[in-house]
Amino acid sequence: MNHARIWVTGLIVTLAVIVIPIIYFAPKPVQARDNPRASLPQHKTHVSHADLMPGPYATGQEVTQACLECHSDSATQVMATSHWTWESQPFTVPGRPEPVTIGKINQINNFCISAQGNQKSCMSCHAGYDWQEGAENTNLTKPENVDCLVCHAQSGYAKGQYGNPADGVDLAAAAQSVAAPTRNQCGKCHFNGGGGNGVKHGDLDETLYYPAAETDVHMGEYNLLCTDCHVTQDHQIKGRLVADNYTISPDEQVACADCHAANLHADERLNTHAQTVACQTCHIPSMATKDPTKVYWDWSTAGLGLQPDDHFEYLKIKGSFEYASNVQPAYLWFNGNLAYRYLLGDTIDPNKPTSINLPAGDIDDSAAKIFPFKLHVAKQPYDTGYNYLLAPVTAGPDGYWTTFDWDSAFRLAEERMGLKYSGNYSFAETWMYWPTTHMVQPKENALQCNDCHSANGRLDWQALGYPGDPMEWGGRFTNK
Amino acid sequence: MLKRLTLSHTLIIGGLLIALVAQGALAATAPRPIAQASAMHPAFAILDADGRNVLDSGQPLSIGNTCGECHDTDYITTHSFHADLGYSESQPAGQVEGGRLWDTSNGLYGKWNPILYRYLSPVGDERIDLTPTDWLKFNGARIVGGGPAQAAAGVEMNCFLCHFTNPNNAERAATLQSGNFAWANTAVLLGTGIVEKNGGGYTFNANAFDAEGNLQRAFITIQDPSNENCAQCHGVVHSTPDPLALTGRDLSQWQTATTGQIVSPQKISQSGMNLSGKEELARAWDVHAERGLQCVDCHYSLNNPVLAQTNAKTQPDSILFDPRRLDISEYLQKPSHQFARGQSAQFTVAPDLKGTMRRCESCHETAQSHSWLPYTAQHMSAVACESCHIPTVHAPAVQSVDWTVLTATGEPVIEWRGVEGESGTLNDLVTGYTPVLLKRNGIDGETTLAPYNLVTVWYWLYDSANGERPVRLGDLQAAYLVSKAEDDCAPASTGAASALIATIAFDLAPENLPTTSADTSYCPQVLRALDANGDATLTGAELRLDTLEKQAVVAKRLQSLGLRNPHLASEIQPYSINHSVARGEYAVRECAVCHSDNSRLGQAIALSGGGPTGVATQFVNDANTATDGALSVSDGVLLFTPATEGLYVFGHSRVSWVDWLGAAMVVGVLLGVAAHGGLRFFASLKTKSHAPAVKRVYMYSVYERFWHWLQTSAILLLILTGLIIHRPDMFGALSFPFIVVVHNVLAVILVVNAALSLFYHLVSGEIRQYIPHPYGFFDQAIAQAGYYLRGIFKREPHPFEKTPQKKLNPLQQVTYFGILNVLLPLQIITGAMMWGVQSFPQITAWFGGLPFLAPFHSFVAWSFAAFIIAHVYLTTTGHEPAAAMKAMMLGWDEVEDHSAQADGDPAPQPAAGD
Repeated sequence: MNHARIWVTGLIVTLAVIVIPIIYFAPKPVQARDNPRASLPQHKTHVSHADLMPGPYATGQEVTQACLECHSDSATQVMATSHWTWESQPFTVPGRPEPVTIGKINQINNFCISAQGNQKSCMSCHAGYDWQEGAENTNLTKPENVDCLVCHAQSGYAKGQYGNPADGVDLAAAAQSVAAPTRNQCGKCHFNGGGGNGVKHGDLDETLYYPAAETDVHMGEYNLLCTDCHVTQDHQIKGRLVADNYTISPDEQVACADCHAANLHADERLNTHAQTVACQTCHIPSMATKDPTKVYWDWSTAGLGLQPDDHFEYLKIKGSFEYASNVQPAYLWFNGNLAYRYLLGDTIDPNKPTSINLPAGDIDDSAAKIFPFKLHVAKQPYDTGYNYLLAPVTAGPDGYWTTFDWDSAFRLAEERMGLKYSGNYSFAETWMYWPTTHMVQPKENALQCNDCHSANGRLDWQALGYPGDPMEWGGRFTNK
Repeated sequence: MLKRLTLSHTLIIGGLLIALVAQGALAATAPRPIAQASAMHPAFAILDADGRNVLDSGQPLSIGNTCGECHDTDYITTHSFHADLGYSESQPAGQVEGGRLWDTSNGLYGKWNPILYRYLSPVGDERIDLTPTDWLKFNGARIVGGGPAQAAAGVEMNCFLCHFTNPNNAERAATLQSGNFAWANTAVLLGTGIVEKNGGGYTFNANAFDAEGNLQRAFITIQDPSNENCAQCHGVVHSTPDPLALTGRDLSQWQTATTGQIVSPQKISQSGMNLSGKEELARAWDVHAERGLQCVDCHYSLNNPVLAQTNAKTQPDSILFDPRRLDISEYLQKPSHQFARGQSAQFTVAPDLKGTMRRCESCHETAQSHSWLPYTAQHMSAVACESCHIPTVHAPAVQSVDWTVLTATGEPVIEWRGVEGESGTLNDLVTGYTPVLLKRNGIDGETTLAPYNLVTVWYWLYDSANGERPVRLGDLQAAYLVSKAEDDCAPASTGAASALIATIAFDLAPENLPTTSADTSYCPQVLRALDANGDATLTGAELRLDTLEKQAVVAKRLQSLGLRNPHLASEIQPYSINHSVARGEYAVRECAVCHSDNSRLGQAIALSGGGPTGVATQFVNDANTATDGALSVSDGVLLFTPATEGLYVFGHSRVSWVDWLGAAMVVGVLLGVAAHGGLRFFASLKTKSHAPAVKRVYMYSVYERFWHWLQTSAILLLILTGLIIHRPDMFGALSFPFIVVVHNVLAVILVVNAALSLFYHLVSGEIRQYIPHPYGFFDQAIAQAGYYLRGIFKREPHPFEKTPQKKLNPLQQVTYFGILNVLLPLQIITGAMMWGVQSFPQITAWFGGLPFLAPFHSFVAWSFAAFIIAHVYLTTTGHEPAAAMKAMMLGWDEVEDHSAQADGDPAPQPAAGD
C-alpha cells in the first residue's frame, strides 16, 4: 500500500471524526427571520442614448416620435396608465347609480382644489404635452403627445405650460440623457404634490432626493429608488394612491411583505399586532421629520393681503397655511379602500367638516388595520346656493390668482367644467386623509408599547371601537 | 469621574428640576387624561375631625372621617410600612439588630441615614438632634403620615398623596416643615381646585362641591397610584414625550440620587440630557416602563385579589392555584397597604415582607429566551438578572458624602459618580457608571451576584453618656462656623451657628433651601488649619481632613463644645439597583465582559477621591450583601474590590501556583529533552556510525494506529482549546462560547475513543502490553533507564526488543500505566464534573465545586502537555529518529534485529485486515 495513501487516508478519517461532531454541535448563528436584502435590486447601467438621439428636436413631440422608432409600444402603454389618463378605472360605488371614475381629470382635493380649468399650470405634472382645456378627446389621443422625457431625462429637462417643455430646454441634450427613472424624476412631481415641497404628503418631500438613513431607511440606508418598490411593467407602475381610487386590488398595491417576511418579529406579541396594526403605524412614528408639511390651508383669507407673502404662513393667491414638522399621524382603521370619496356635485353640510375622502374599515373588518394618515384640513369655497364644493379657475390670465375675484373664478369654471354656480359662495371646512407609507424610519425608532398602551398613548381606543386599551381589555381577535 | 458638589447645589438643582420634571405630577399644569382616574369612585363629602362637612366648619379635613366613611382607614394605616416606617418596632438605642448604637428602628423612623445626617435622638439622650416632631418636619416631604407622624403630631396617613392624579406634595411638605401639622393633609389638595390658600390656613372652594356638599365628580381624580405618585418620594419618573432633561444630583429624588435609576419609557437617545454616547442608546430608560408596567404592578398590595400570589411555601404541591381570595368589595374596604417588596440592601424596614414582590422569573421564562447562553442554568444560579440587564446606569449617583468638614453654608462635601463637570446644569457631561457586582444573600438562601452603588460617608462621632452618637449638625456647624459678630471663636458654644442654619431639610420648598449666610464665617482656627492657599475661603481639596493635625484642630473645637472623645468614623452603604432595566438586546451579551482578565466580576469601584485620612471605612451591618473585598488607594482614589472567592469564572479565575507549577513542569521537560537530544547529537558526531541490523515488522494494526492518532489529535486540541478558555485574553479573536463547545465535543470524542480502545485491548488481550510484569520489572526498568542515560549516547542497541507482542519497554509500560489509569481518568472525571455544574450541581459540589475542580483540571492538563513532549521525544530514540513515528503511521516498523542474541521471538505476523 502506498505510504502517502495510508497517512492521507488516516488523516482524513481522523479529522472527519473530530470535525463532523464539532460542526454538528457548534452554536449555530440564529437564522434571521427576515432577509429583505435578498430583494434588493441590482441597478443596471442604462444603455447610453447619447449617440442614438442626435437631434435636433424642435418640439417634445419630435423627441417622442424618435423614441417610438425603437420603443414602438411605449406610447400606447403609457396612454393606458393613470399617469396619462389622470383617472381611475370605473368603480361601482354604493349609493351612486352609475360607476364612477376618480382622478385629477374630474375631481377635486382640498389643496389647489381642481386641475380642471387650470390645465395651464397643473399639466406641468402630466406625462404628456399640450393638454389644453377641452383637449381630452383630441390631443390626449395622440401617441406623440406622450412625454417620455419627464420620467426618463436625467438632466436638462423641465416642463412649462400645458405640459409642454419649458422655454429654452435643449431637447436633444435631454433626450440623450435618458435612463431608467430615479428619485429625481419621480420626486419632481410627487415630492411637490399640492404645489410645493411637502405640501400634500407628510411622507414624501424633497429630503428624499438625498435622504439620510433616519429619514427613510429604505432610500437612505439602502439607496432604494422609487421604482424598486413601485415595480414597473409595460409602464404600469405598481402602487395606487387611495385618495384617487375607491377600491384598490391588493395585487396593484406595494406591500412591506413583498420584501419582508410575514412574521419577522422575534417577539410573538408584535407578530400578533401585525393582524391589527399596519407596519407603517409603528415604523413611521412621525411624518415630515426634516421638512415641514402643510396641515392646514385656509382659502378664505386669499386675496386679502393679510400679511406679506411667506411660503409657510400666507400667500395672497392661496390664503393662510399651517405647516408642521415631526407630525404625529392620525390613526384610523383602513382596509386599503375608501368608504367615501367626495365627487363634484355632492352636497355638503357646511356646518360640519366635509370629508373629501374617508378611509374604509372598522374594528369589525378583519381586513382592516390601524393605519397612519396625514390629515389635511382646509377651508375651501362652496356654493351656498347649491351646497356643494366649488372648483375655481385659478391659473391663467382670467384665473383667481390674477384677478383675485372669486366670483369670476367660479363663473369661469362653470363655463369650462359645467359646474353650476348660483352666484353665492362661502368657505367650509374639509378634511382629507393621506396614507403615510414612505419615510420608514430605522427599527430603533419604531413605536414601543407605551407609545400607545399608556395614559399618554397616541391611540384613542374608544374612538377606534375598543372598550379600552386592548392590552388590558383584550384585542379584537382575543377575548380577555 | 469624581466630582464634588455641595448639598446646597444639590438642593437648588433639585428645586429647579422640580419645576422642570416633577411639575407635571405635582401641580395642576398638566392634567392627566381623566380616563386615568376611576370613574367609579362615588361622590363624597370632605369631613373634618368632628365629622362635619368642611364647607360648613372651615376646619382642616380629616382623612379618617372622609375616606374612613367607606374604607377602613385604621386597617390601612396599621397595615402599611409606608406609614409605620419602623415606628411600631422601635427599640431602645443599640438594640436594633444590625443597627448602629443610636438606631432605634429598622425604618426611616429611627434608622440613621448618614447621607441626610440628622437623626432621631434616642430617648434619654442629653443632646437632642431631632425630637419626633422635628423628625416629622425634617422628613415631611417623604412621609405619608400615620404611624410616627400621627403619634407625634396627629398627622394622619394621607390618601390623596398617592391616590389623586395631582396632589401637591411640595405644599404639604412646606406645611409640615412650618409646624402647621393640622393643615398638612388639606394642603396636599392645593392646586386641585378643591382648596385655596388663605393666609396660614386653607379654605375649601365651594364651587368644587355640589348642592349636597359632596365633591363634584370633575374634582374626584382618584386612581390607582400612578408612577408619578410614587415618584414624589422615590425618584425620577418621566412619562411624557418631552425629552427628559435631568441634571441629577438631587437628593429629593432619593432613589435616583442614590443609584441613578430612572423609570421612564423614553429612549435614552431621545432624552435631552448631555449624555456620553447617547446616540447609541436606543434603549428605553426602563424597559418595564416602556412596556406599560406601573410601579404597583410589581409592588402591589399583598391582599389585592387580582395580583396576590399563592404562597408557595404553605401550599401543598398538588395545588397550583388557590382561588379563595377576597371579594373586590372586601378588598376595597380593607386594602392592605403592605406592598410587595424586593430585597434591597438599603431598605430594611418590614423585613418579614422581603421578597414578597414578583421576581423576574415569576413573569419571565428564562430558559428559552436565554437558549443562546451556554450553561444557562449555571449563569442563572450565579448571576442575578439585573447584573446583565442593568449593564450601565446612565445618570449621576452619590458616591461619597464627607460630613467631617462643612462648607461655608454648613453642608457636607458630596462626590457624585457618573458625571463630569461641576456646574450642576445640563452642560455637565453625564458619563454614567458601571455598578459593582456584590454577592446578594437572598431570603431563599441563594447567593447571586447583583449590581450595587456604594455610598461612602465620613462623619464625626462622640461618646455621649449613652454611648457613641454622631455629632449633631448644630454642634458641627458651631465648631466650624461662627457668627461674624464674634472676633474669636474660642470657646465655641453650641448653637452659635444654629440660628443661621439649623436644618438641612429634605424638602422642596425654595424658602427652606439652605442659603449662604453673610453672617457666618469659618472659625479662624479651623480656617488657618485648612486654608492651604490662604485666600480665607475653603474650596475644593481644602475641604478635607487629610492630616491628623487638621483632624485635631476640629476635634479640639468639638471638645470645646463639651463633646467627649470626638472621633472620625465611616461606613459604606450598598444601594441595590433593580430598575432602569434594559431588554435583552442591550443587556450584557459578550462573554468577555465576565470571562476575561478584565472581568466585571471582581471589578473595583471607586469609593471616593476625598474624605479624611486614616479612617477605616466598613460596610454597614444590615445590608444583605457579602462585604468581603479589598480596599486600596490608586491615584488618590479609594477603591473597593469585591472578593470573588467561591466563584470560579473561566477565563478570569485561575490559581497562579498551579499555572506556575505546570509551566515549570513543561519547561523542565523541554529542557531535559533538549539536553538529552543535544548530548545524543554530539555523541553521534564522536561515535562511529553504527547501523544496527534491522528488520521490518508489522507493529501496529490499523485500529491501533487510528485510535492513537485520534487520541493524539483530541488531546492536542483539548490542550489548545483549554488554554484558550483558560486565557481568553491571549486569544481574543476566537469566539469564547464556540471554543467551549469544541472543547466539550473533543472531550466526548476522547472518552469514546478511550472506551473503544479499552474494549479492543481487553478483548484482543493487547491490554497485556500495558501491564508491567512484576517479576524482574525493576531490573528491566533500571536497564532501560540506564540505556537512556548511557547506552543511547554510545549507540548501543536497545536493551529490549520492540516486537508486536511487546511494543512497550518497561519504562513505557509504567508511564502509560500511569497516564491511562491516573491522569486520563482524573481529567475525564474533573472535566465531566465541570461540565455537569449545571446539570448535576450537587455532585459537582461534592467534588469541591469549580474552585477546586477547575485548577485541578488545569494541572492535569499541564501534566499531559509535559508528557506529550517527553513522549514525542522518546519516539525519536529508535534506530533513526523518524522510525517510530513512521511506524505509527504506516504500521510497519524497522526494529533492531536482536535475533542473533535473543532467544528467537516468533516471526512477525501481519495482522488480519492489513
